[in-house]
Amino acid sequence: MVLRGLVLTAIAVWSAFPIALVVMSSFKPARDIFVFPPTWAFAPTLANYAGLWLRWPDFFRTLGNSLVVTLGATALAVIVSAMAGYVYSRKRNPYLAGSAFFMIFVRLFPPIVVTLPLFPLVNALRLNDTHLVLIVLYATFFVSMGTMILKAFVDQIPRELDEAAMVDGAGVWGVFRRVILPLSAQGMIAVGVFVFVYAWNEFLFAFIFTTSAAKTTPLVLSEMTGAVDGVEWGVLFAATTLQLVPVLLFVLLTQKYLIAGLTAGATKG
Amino acid sequence: MTAPGNPNRLQPIHVAMVVPVQALLIATIFLPSLYVFWLSLNESSFGVAPKFVGLRNYVEVLSDPYFWRAFVNTAIVINIVVYVELALGMAIALLFAGGIPMRKTMISIILAPYAISEVAAVVMWRFMLDPSIGMVSQTLTTLGLPTIEWSVVPAHGLTVVCALSVWLHLPFTFLILYAARLAIPADLYEAARIDGASGWKQFVHITVPVLMPAILVAVLFRYIFAFRMFSEVWLVTGGGPARSTEVLAVYLYQEAFRYNEFGIASATGWLMVAGSIVLAIPYLRSLYKRTLTDA
Repeated sequence: MVLRGLVLTAIAVWSAFPIALVVMSSFKPARDIFVFPPTWAFAPTLANYAGLWLRWPDFFRTLGNSLVVTLGATALAVIVSAMAGYVYSRKRNPYLAGSAFFMIFVRLFPPIVVTLPLFPLVNALRLNDTHLVLIVLYATFFVSMGTMILKAFVDQIPRELDEAAMVDGAGVWGVFRRVILPLSAQGMIAVGVFVFVYAWNEFLFAFIFTTSAAKTTPLVLSEMTGAVDGVEWGVLFAATTLQLVPVLLFVLLTQKYLIAGLTAGATKG
Repeated sequence: MTAPGNPNRLQPIHVAMVVPVQALLIATIFLPSLYVFWLSLNESSFGVAPKFVGLRNYVEVLSDPYFWRAFVNTAIVINIVVYVELALGMAIALLFAGGIPMRKTMISIILAPYAISEVAAVVMWRFMLDPSIGMVSQTLTTLGLPTIEWSVVPAHGLTVVCALSVWLHLPFTFLILYAARLAIPADLYEAARIDGASGWKQFVHITVPVLMPAILVAVLFRYIFAFRMFSEVWLVTGGGPARSTEVLAVYLYQEAFRYNEFGIASATGWLMVAGSIVLAIPYLRSLYKRTLTDA
């Protein structure tokens, strides 16, 4: 019993302590940040957030960029995955089977490989440093998993419902809109959570394809960690907190869907 | 090919509903990757017309000590993180399945790192491990132990990368194993107990065999994803000191975007694609069977 309690505490500390430390430290006055052992008794202050506002005004604009890119990628991935998932669930034929295999196969290619040709191409199309590039890239790297998850969810919807709607005169698109979409809402949320977390946090593509106008938050955070004149830890903690709190809350609120999606997507996809 | 009235006959609308997914994959991943293959057979640099050189880039990559250094680092890091995650994920999943207090809260806590970006995780870990101000270093010093010099000693740098990576991805491995463990019917263990099987015997003869598909999924997915690791290494050590902590993705990035060696980088890219496919062979084989027997 005692041992189990200790083990559970150790697990909780391992997972949550680094996050709690950064969030707490973002409200600490400068002199308390480096106190060892860390103190939990301090007068909370917003000085670090004020410092962030003054010294990295760019940061708040990048939060906006991250939001636009994340919402765009999530919407795109969920919509196209839902349409494809419906067809893959309801139809069986060799062409579809082949394309399903292709869909998963292509997802195995490491993302950094496609940056090589896309970098000059994106520049030539004058799409570098735009939201659109990131939206398309982020959505693309999740449509395979998204389609498999939604196929698994649509598989659970009885075909009789499709047929009943067809008898009522609905076409394929009508069945999709009026039967499938409402009944696979949980699956769409699950897919949405995966894309949202990925797009909000992604570093590599943002690092290669954006420079200023479309720069996302993780990129500014990395610039702040690598600042030449030494790291301003307090300001960095404020920025990190603003980056992680929204997505952390989002994940905690939607964890039911996340778990359902992961089990559907990973074991069946 | 299929008779009219066949319920599997595709109407144009069905095709139109599959096209967007396939178009995204073809335009953004497949065609660019084929182009990378062509680039890998040419000597090229940004803004310079490519010149066909056959397999020379591959020969150059395979005789570059930095490539092999990156290869060995990648092999070490992925084998450590995948198996540490598997061991921890399995232990925690079994502990949780046995019933624990505040189960929902504990699951939320374990899941939390899933929401954290690599960059934010690096901020946390660099702060805790900072050689002069970090609490881990100060604790080690107080105990009279040597500190972790992650920016100076390559082995320390890679250790930090491993710790960070396990921290970020343990939620995934845990969830897969936990969900699979919950699906094992309780009467299986009941029967084993009646037959007098010890806890260890139950683990070896029931838990492991029944969980094997989930274990394979968790291990395989983590191998494929750890193999392409970039951000953790880039943000912790930058591949340094003196290119000693690069992994394959960092090596590729450096060759392409720092040294402008697109041919070398492309050859590395295709070696990475080949590596990913080899790692995924067991998965692809089962997928192939399933998708095509389904058809």
